[in-house]
Amino acid sequence: MNNNNLLPASWSRQLSTRDDVTALAERTRTNSIETGVEGGDKDDVVDPTIAAFRQRYDVFEKRIAIMFDTRRPCCAPPDMEFATLELNDPFSSANVNASGNSAADNARPPVRKLDDDDYDFEDDEDEEDTRPKAPPPLPFKSASSLSQSSEPLPGNIIDAKKSAVATREKLEADRKAAEEAVKRALPSMFFTLENDRDAMLEQQKLEESDRQVNAEANAAQANALGKLSSANLGASSLTLKHLIARIDAKRKEVVVSDLELRNLMSEVRKNRSKWANEDKIGQEDLYEAAEKVVLELRALTEHSTAFLNKVNKREAPDYLTIIKHPMDLGTVMKKLKGHHYKSKKDFVDDLNLIWQNCLDYNAEPSHYLRKHAKAMQKATQNLTPLIPDIVIRDRAEVELEEAGALEVDAEGESDDEPIMSSRGRKAPGTKKTRKGARLEGTPEVKAPVVNLLRADSNPPGNDSQVSVGLNGFPTPSGGTPVPNGLAHSISQMDIDHDRVDDDTHDVEYQTWKTLTKKARAKVASERHKLFRGNRLNPEEPALLRSRDDMGRFLRNEEKHARSAQDADDNSMQQGSGNTKLVDTEQTDVQELLPDYYDPLAAVPELPFGVSWYGDGDEVDLQDDNLRIAPRGIFIQPKSELSKRMDANIKQMQETRKLCSKIGVIKQMQVQTQMYSNQFTKYDPKEFVEADVEDFVVSEEGPIMCATVARAALQKSVGKIFYHAGFEEFQPTAIDAVTDIAVDYFQKLSKTLTVYQEAPQHERKFEPEEMLLHALYENGADVESLDTYIKDDIERLGSKLNGIHQRMKSHLTELLRPALQDVGGDGSKMFNDGSEQFVGGDFAEDIGDDFFGFKELGLDKEFGLSSLSVPLHLLQGRMHSTYQTQNTSTVALADGYKPPPPFEPVTHELLEREIGLVKNFFLAKLHANNEEPLVEDEDLPVKQRLPKPRLPPTGKILAPRKRPMHGQGGNSKKKKKPNPPAPPPAKAALLPSKSVAMDRSLSKISEADGDGNGGMMSPESLVGGGG
Amino acid sequence: MSNDKFKYRVEIQQVLCPLHSGALYVMMFVSGETGEPSAETTGIIEEIVRVYIAARDPDLLQLQQCTNLASRRGSRSISTDDLIFLIRHDKAKVSRLRTYLSWKDVRKTAKDNDPSGGAGAPDPADLLDDAAAGIAGGAGPVQMRQKKAKIGLPWEVASFFSEQVPEREEDEDEDEVEANAATLQRLKNADERTRGMTRDEYVHWSECRQASFTFRKGKRFREWAGFGTVTDAKPNDDIVDILGFLTFEIVQTLTEEALKVKELEDHVLMESREKSKKRKREKFLFHAEEGRTPIEPRHVEEAFRRLQVPKPKSRAMRNFSGGVVKSKLTLV
Repeated sequence: MNNNNLLPASWSRQLSTRDDVTALAERTRTNSIETGVEGGDKDDVVDPTIAAFRQRYDVFEKRIAIMFDTRRPCCAPPDMEFATLELNDPFSSANVNASGNSAADNARPPVRKLDDDDYDFEDDEDEEDTRPKAPPPLPFKSASSLSQSSEPLPGNIIDAKKSAVATREKLEADRKAAEEAVKRALPSMFFTLENDRDAMLEQQKLEESDRQVNAEANAAQANALGKLSSANLGASSLTLKHLIARIDAKRKEVVVSDLELRNLMSEVRKNRSKWANEDKIGQEDLYEAAEKVVLELRALTEHSTAFLNKVNKREAPDYLTIIKHPMDLGTVMKKLKGHHYKSKKDFVDDLNLIWQNCLDYNAEPSHYLRKHAKAMQKATQNLTPLIPDIVIRDRAEVELEEAGALEVDAEGESDDEPIMSSRGRKAPGTKKTRKGARLEGTPEVKAPVVNLLRADSNPPGNDSQVSVGLNGFPTPSGGTPVPNGLAHSISQMDIDHDRVDDDTHDVEYQTWKTLTKKARAKVASERHKLFRGNRLNPEEPALLRSRDDMGRFLRNEEKHARSAQDADDNSMQQGSGNTKLVDTEQTDVQELLPDYYDPLAAVPELPFGVSWYGDGDEVDLQDDNLRIAPRGIFIQPKSELSKRMDANIKQMQETRKLCSKIGVIKQMQVQTQMYSNQFTKYDPKEFVEADVEDFVVSEEGPIMCATVARAALQKSVGKIFYHAGFEEFQPTAIDAVTDIAVDYFQKLSKTLTVYQEAPQHERKFEPEEMLLHALYENGADVESLDTYIKDDIERLGSKLNGIHQRMKSHLTELLRPALQDVGGDGSKMFNDGSEQFVGGDFAEDIGDDFFGFKELGLDKEFGLSSLSVPLHLLQGRMHSTYQTQNTSTVALADGYKPPPPFEPVTHELLEREIGLVKNFFLAKLHANNEEPLVEDEDLPVKQRLPKPRLPPTGKILAPRKRPMHGQGGNSKKKKKPNPPAPPPAKAALLPSKSVAMDRSLSKISEADGDGNGGMMSPESLVGGGG
Repeated sequence: MSNDKFKYRVEIQQVLCPLHSGALYVMMFVSGETGEPSAETTGIIEEIVRVYIAARDPDLLQLQQCTNLASRRGSRSISTDDLIFLIRHDKAKVSRLRTYLSWKDVRKTAKDNDPSGGAGAPDPADLLDDAAAGIAGGAGPVQMRQKKAKIGLPWEVASFFSEQVPEREEDEDEDEVEANAATLQRLKNADERTRGMTRDEYVHWSECRQASFTFRKGKRFREWAGFGTVTDAKPNDDIVDILGFLTFEIVQTLTEEALKVKELEDHVLMESREKSKKRKREKFLFHAEEGRTPIEPRHVEEAFRRLQVPKPKSRAMRNFSGGVVKSKLTLV
């Protein structure tokens, strides 16, 4: 048995419902334990067959547990191989019968399909009929200790406890213990649904009878709208006197019935029950308890159904001829409400009369009602000790008596305060209670067994409606202990004989059934309404899930999860943990219902993206479906092909950069004047394919958006255009090509669809073949695609690379002539494409005052931060270098030596000049900051004045094209201070070495005109030179 | 097969056929036809070629297309680029054409530099093969190669960029190598054929290989092709030469295809004959092979049909759009 604790009890319970043989064996064993108190010899001799059965039972249970997988680790069976569970009992071979049985059991489907036929009552009834009479699941105790402690056996009780009070307490405690046990065991048990229909029907009858009783009671009192004050609310309600008076005055306008009103009043007056009556001593206690008992009995719907209402004449025409005093629970309730009972005995007699009537009427022992009657009898027997033995007496009578017996000792005052009595009663009651206590001084004499005995033995007519006075007196009728034992043995025998309570020994199950009966009935009836008449009733209110139910479901799940966490702990700890959970949470009866009773409340496992915030908050529906679409749908996917294409495009851009440089340099060599807008700097940006912004989609599947897709295709087309060599293209061109591409792809996919949608039997091609065919039909095949990639992408890449190299070397060659002037050490710097050269800041790198700016003092004067030179100076130098070289070679060839260059005009030089020009030059020198004046031709190109244009007949046609005699190509000349006329405008310019090339070009060209126009006249210089 | 006989036939053809029959015949011979095609055969081939080159239907003719291209470019006269553009997809052909043009250029410069040697310059058709042979052999005349000018095409990589840079000498164009594969295959076939030839036969063969539509017959070719009516501008020599080259290609392709057709036909006939007359006709040891019959017009027609079967590529954009597709004359 201990092994079973490791297993989910549900499986074992399942098994027990099926394995009759093993269950029988188990039952026998349990019985032997229970009866071991009386007959110990049974326990000593264990039948070897039973032992074998037990062993097999254990083994099979384990096997079953293994066969069914569970996701919950806490419920998972311990890891063990199926094969290891071998039968190793010594009886397997010897006991043929046993093994045969077990084999048969094993062959049966191990788990009964969960009976969900609450909806289908026809089937259920058939099943009920054919079934061999009580196959409700026979749950057995998962912990045998529980059963022993919680089994309230009358015999034991009578033997052990002598006082009725103690009995009552014991009963209550037992009941509580049983409930606790059930609650503890509940999560580990699996209940089938087969009893639900009964529960429902019984509950319906019960409610019906309730209504009837109420209606009758109301009808009885409705004709006389009694005044509340006249109603026996009791004189003690002085505090409410005015209220009651007021209500009485307006009684006509209050639509509630008298009974309800009274109930209301009794609720308002807390501590006082509706039964309280100042004039009737003991009524409150007695009726309180009696009502409880009746309700309890009625609640035993399993057996009480037949006794709820009066026997119908139509059902049993001869009933009244046999039964002289009919009685039923409804009548008892009615009588209670009508205050007809004067003592406990009256009440108990009526109850027993019911059962006895039944047993009398249904004389044959096999009648099905007999077992119910007996069960009810037993229940009554158990419950009657709860009722205090009180005889109701009038206050006046009591007071009279009291006066005479004042001296009677009051020691019994405290010992048997009835449990059911309300505690807070004080005002007039001290004496009365004492009186009552004294009256019921020997309650143990009036053990319920007496009634039972009488009920069993006496004719039914005798003990019903006995006079109050007679029954009220404590008349010990006969020796009590002996009949008790007798009664017990009788009832026990009866039960055993009839097998009424097949499952009574399973206290847990029983208790569970009782506890959850209402809830189960409710669930079943709700469902039944929907399917009444064997069809779906659309008019019925729908079954709705409630937040509480769902929360409970989640809590249960959580319990599983939690117990999975400490799976290494043993099952006992798990059990205690669960109990704690149950205790801390609401102990609603509903709580005891397993999850599968309320499938509506089941919460599916939350899908990804949905969260559940605690108990109170709803599922966040916003997260439910909407989500951010994955990125990169509308851009070119990363692939080897796209990588190569990108590389090619990049290479093209680089090469184009070189091209623009070459173009600039070539232009500079030809042109003398540069303008800012002449060269647009080519600085292409890297192509980055922009993705669409984040957007939200709601469903899986392709994202359909024609415009965006078209735009994406356009981007790709543009890329291919660029890759094919087009730097720019007209929008119409790209539109047209995109249209064609769209058309083509549509046709391609359409062709493929045609192939794919061919009927199955006509389909000839594999998917790959379909694709190839579709491609072929549209004029493409793998070879051509391959050729395209090889030729137009890979080979293009290598070609581009080659051209890039050639461009580079070409650029270097173009720059070379100028570089030669620099001298040996610096020239290597420019081999790499020489951006610095174009930018003009190489001189700074070599730390050389290359252009002599420092010597000139320009850096100080104009705040030059670096010594780079404006580009126009540079190219002018290059230009002149070319010219010089050419002319020198030509001159040498001709044998003509160029004349020495003119020296710059300085003060020293002027000394030797004639006075006529002295002043003029002095003024010029002064204007030039005392710097030497140079020839116009030696000035940097930009500062040169435009030569006066000559008419077509003149000799000088293109002065700039002519070789300049003043420059011999020697570097010394370059280092010579070239006094640039420093106009303020230019001064502002020179520092701008970091400014982009084009800008400086423009500014300088502007400044050129200003400065020269004001300062120098070409005539003067020419004249000076001449 | 005697040399004289062929010479005779050539003369006959030249007399009989209006324009180029002699050359046609020779070209067919070079392309593999060993028999003596009838005048009808050469006539039909000539008609086909003429349709290609100079049909009056503006959709069809090659010259017209070139003119359209040129006018789209904004030029009134067609250039070599326009012609090459038409055949740009046939890489082997383009390669051959470029080689041809470059060697023609070489010849021209050589003639300019050395007027005396110009007369003895080889025939263009010969140049064609020599160039290919030079590439194949890998040890061509170096000085010739140095002079060889590269024919740049506007859709080549070099024209992507604004600046033209000089070619490097060491640049090996792998494009050429690959495009020459077909040419090499053709040369190899010719090699196979000439292997068993006697000296006289080979001389004749090599003479035949020099056949040209345009060499020293430029004026006649122009008239024949309809210059002046189709296009206004007076095409230069290059254009005429290219057209002549293309005509030669067409004849060659047609002949090869017709030969294949004939071979198939012979095969089928042979099989059926063997099947029906197996008993009757027995093969004797010295049973003379029947002489090869020349290509009949039906073979040429079938070959032309085969070449004209529209390829999926040309009608892909008409898929699913219904209607009758009027197939255009595709270039051979």
